[in-house]
Amino acid sequence: MTTHRIECVVSGESHSLDVPTGRMLSDFLRDDLHLTGTKRGCETGVCGACSILLDGEVVKSCLMLAAQVDGRNITTIEGLAEGDSLHPLQESFMKCGGLQCGYCTPGMIMASCDLLKNNPNPTVEEVQRALSGNLCRCTGYTQIVESILHAAEEMNHGN
Amino acid sequence: MRDFHYLEPVSVEEASRMLAEHEDDEVRLAAGGTALILTMRQRMLKPTHLISLAKIDRLRGIGFDSQAGLRIGALSRHADIAKSEVVRQHYPVLASMAERVANPQVRNQGTIGGNLCYGDPSTDPPACLLALDASVVLGSSRGERTLPLEEFIVDFFETAIEPDEVLIEVRVPPMKAGAKGIYSRFLRTAAEHRPLVSVAVVATREGADWRDVRLTVGASTPMPMRLRRAEDFLQTQAPTAAAAAQAADIVAQDIMPISDSRGDAEFRREMVRVVARRSLCQLFEISEEGSA
Repeated sequence: MTTHRIECVVSGESHSLDVPTGRMLSDFLRDDLHLTGTKRGCETGVCGACSILLDGEVVKSCLMLAAQVDGRNITTIEGLAEGDSLHPLQESFMKCGGLQCGYCTPGMIMASCDLLKNNPNPTVEEVQRALSGNLCRCTGYTQIVESILHAAEEMNHGN
Repeated sequence: MRDFHYLEPVSVEEASRMLAEHEDDEVRLAAGGTALILTMRQRMLKPTHLISLAKIDRLRGIGFDSQAGLRIGALSRHADIAKSEVVRQHYPVLASMAERVANPQVRNQGTIGGNLCYGDPSTDPPACLLALDASVVLGSSRGERTLPLEEFIVDFFETAIEPDEVLIEVRVPPMKAGAKGIYSRFLRTAAEHRPLVSVAVVATREGADWRDVRLTVGASTPMPMRLRRAEDFLQTQAPTAAAAAQAADIVAQDIMPISDSRGDAEFRREMVRVVARRSLCQLFEISEEGSA
């Protein structure tokens, strides 16, 4: 098997290892690093369950090779909380019921992180557009959007 | 996924030599990889060698010069183009197209060079760039050449790139004073990220009229194309709703739409007619009923 040496930081932890060239980034995170918060859904770039932040920007980890993240900084859902205190988006999804089965939630939250970083006061329509790469098969979109608007408010008030 | 070698050249010449060296193998260039990796996962492509372009600095950056126009490095991502100040200022139609490509995740990963080389007609950039009279600069160890986009796109998923060439940058000439562009599309559902129809029109206002019209259709035809008969017709017309409707009829008549599971040819033809009419009304700044 042909391998490729990569060095990357995943949620604050440095990794240096040889990965098979054909290893998908989503498989690398889940199967090699055992970070199973990132979900595999459609694995064809449609559902967004595998969304992660790459150098702070949301991407789909099923559309990338692990070999492509050499020298890059990744944040997965596991990297959002600080110790025992959850990220405001995580708190907000719980409080506003922004999930039903929960499978799409990590991807929804990573996409929302990217949105709120660039636009701390999004409108409903801007939230919807930011989530256009994420599907919820439970169709719980209304509360997902509410969760994000609520988190934005909390973050702006410094809570 | 089948095992392959992952190569990382640092210059266009080195990439070109690698392409030539592995000519007899299945070798592919990877930019962002969003489309390529899908085809590999579906085993439509089984490369033995993957050449990543990510370390070639020459392929990066977006720059503008009032004489030379816009230069978009091949590795520019759709999000880079959408956010670029010079693009937003001098080519608002291009920024507005780029911010609609696929979805946020793909815009943060997919590149303009990859998009054009893949030759997939059902995407946004080709028709828009064609209306803007864009060219591509191709490089290899043999040198460089510039091709108008119209000659670069040869057919359905087919381009004029040679086996040892790399797309270096896209160039867009400056827009004339008074020029305006409209890019519109039709999606079958809001969740479908590939346009079923796209129409781009760029024209220059001369008094009350619009001249130097370039009108293109994408996504519905095997490759994006200019509609010259409709362009010529528009050169002679005052900007009215009736002229927009007549031009849209010419557009619908002059295309050979593709038929597939996403839409048959006649459906696409009708939707091209609708989107073309609306785009022209938007350009003319009139309602479809004809009032200003």
